[in-house]
Amino acid sequence: MDVFLTLVIGGIGDGALYFLIAAGLTLIFGLLQVINFAHGGLYLWGAYMATFLYAVTHQFWLALIVGAGAGAVLGIAMERGLLGRLYHHGTNQILITMGVMLILSEFVKVPFGVNGLNAPTPSFLSHSWLVGHVVLVEYQWFTIVVGAMVYLVLHWLLRRTRLGMVIRAGVENAGLVEACGIPIRNVFTVVFALGAALAGFAGALAGPYFGSVTPGMGLDMQLTAFIIVVIGGMGSVQGALVGSLLVGVVTSFMSFYFPSLSVLVTVLVMAVVLLVRPQGLFGEARAAA
Amino acid sequence: MNRNIVRYAAAVLLLAVGLLLPTITGGGGTTTLLEQVFTFGAFAMSYDLLLGFTGIISFGHAMFFGTGAYIMGICLVRGNASTLSFVCGAMLAVVVSVMLSLVVAFLSLRMKDTYFAMITLAVGQTFYVLAGSRALQPWTNANDGITVFVPDWLNSDYAIYCLCFLFCVAVAFLLFQFVKSPVGVILKGIRDNESRMVALGHSVFRYKTAAFVISGIVATLAGALFVIAEMFVSTQVFDVSTSINVLLMTIIGGTGTLFGGLLGAAVILIAQSEFSTLAGTYPMFNDYMILFGVLYVLVVLFLPRGILGTILQERGRRRWTTRFLNSNR
Repeated sequence: MDVFLTLVIGGIGDGALYFLIAAGLTLIFGLLQVINFAHGGLYLWGAYMATFLYAVTHQFWLALIVGAGAGAVLGIAMERGLLGRLYHHGTNQILITMGVMLILSEFVKVPFGVNGLNAPTPSFLSHSWLVGHVVLVEYQWFTIVVGAMVYLVLHWLLRRTRLGMVIRAGVENAGLVEACGIPIRNVFTVVFALGAALAGFAGALAGPYFGSVTPGMGLDMQLTAFIIVVIGGMGSVQGALVGSLLVGVVTSFMSFYFPSLSVLVTVLVMAVVLLVRPQGLFGEARAAA
Repeated sequence: MNRNIVRYAAAVLLLAVGLLLPTITGGGGTTTLLEQVFTFGAFAMSYDLLLGFTGIISFGHAMFFGTGAYIMGICLVRGNASTLSFVCGAMLAVVVSVMLSLVVAFLSLRMKDTYFAMITLAVGQTFYVLAGSRALQPWTNANDGITVFVPDWLNSDYAIYCLCFLFCVAVAFLLFQFVKSPVGVILKGIRDNESRMVALGHSVFRYKTAAFVISGIVATLAGALFVIAEMFVSTQVFDVSTSINVLLMTIIGGTGTLFGGLLGAAVILIAQSEFSTLAGTYPMFNDYMILFGVLYVLVVLFLPRGILGTILQERGRRRWTTRFLNSNR
């Protein structure tokens, strides 16, 4: 039972981190119909900027904000500079974002080296307690709380604000929204920047969570996030949440009991979902076909 | 008739030059580079069948290349480098690649193309992790890789070179026939206007699957040859950078031109080897992948037809304008 609880909490912690990436990815896809293959690169740069800043200033909150800011700035530059000229050209869009991913993950090695950096946990978040035989790690709980707050804020933003209304309408029919006199291109930029900021923020959180940042972490996280949005359904924030928790908990259990199989399991879960429900658990059929 | 004779003569001449190329350029490193160019050239042409002719993007094509390399490597090691193990390796590689491509196609090709790109990336990366995992160590030797010995009749640089060259020529010929065939025309139709092909009653899913299977077989055989040329295989063949490299070769050479893949492979591999030499004296050239990344983005943005595609387009334009002017005269 104690092992069970520890694994579940660990899985939810991982899931909270995954959710931040997957939510941005799925939001961007829902509105812009673009899968951002550079999302892992934004996460990577968020992580490096935050870790570097924390090492220099020891200001944890500032590091988090800068991580999110780094993601947002890169995201806006990408959307305005590259993607903007390629809408309605799906193949080239996919190719371009993958090219940006390549540049981002190679360029990070120039100033920071190929071996990665240590990312210490700030002292006020580095406690851990033993309740019964269950280990409670403070930073894990912090991540879970942050993930839950981000979900609630996104939910509020999408359901209760005017911008959210425009976004949801744009997901249904972007052309019609534009015909109503709403500058949909600017909304595209805002959503892309929001998703990119979430990725950078997740990177800033992930540094202390895993204890280090490495050039390969972007691609690894991106693959997990892709599997999650395919499972949850592309374009659905709820789907991203459920998919993240599912993948987090399943991976946590598998890597404890069958460490050699843990890689296969997420892919197998994805395969099963694709066979039974190709559009994903929360996706709409027309978004997939 | 006259034209045909010229064509055959050109083909024979090209074959002869190709087979004699290592004696002209001198052996050693250059021959190894040429072997790589031809195996990766075949790999890139198989990729162009997907990207350039069917219009679908795979970010995990290395899974075929790597599967071929590992199957051939394991067969040669287990079979003590006999000719039989070489043949078995090639056949087994084809069978496995067909099964693999059918499974991946069934999972991902029924949906939008974005799904295909994501799922191939995820599946490809799984192969990378599996090849390096402890569970498969008895077979794959995990992260250390396998050193491979080849059958006696292949045990010279020149023999291996000839094998790679002839394989590349055969692939180029067969794929060229394929893209000109009625099926190839339908694939181009899918690339240009998928919904119209659906409306015309073609089973788009089946044609895409066929393209994926054929492309997978060629890529797998190219991987099998790669391990023979290198006499070594490691998890690197499954790495996402292998998929990116072949994408880069196809795009720079020219998507939808088939032979552009070979040209791109030559450009990229020669540039890579030059950069590695330069990196010995100037360490900054170690980061040449950034340069490739920037080049890749620039080519997609400003030269979407690649080198060969742009040349062909210019030639077509000039022909058309001269004919037009002549008829006016």
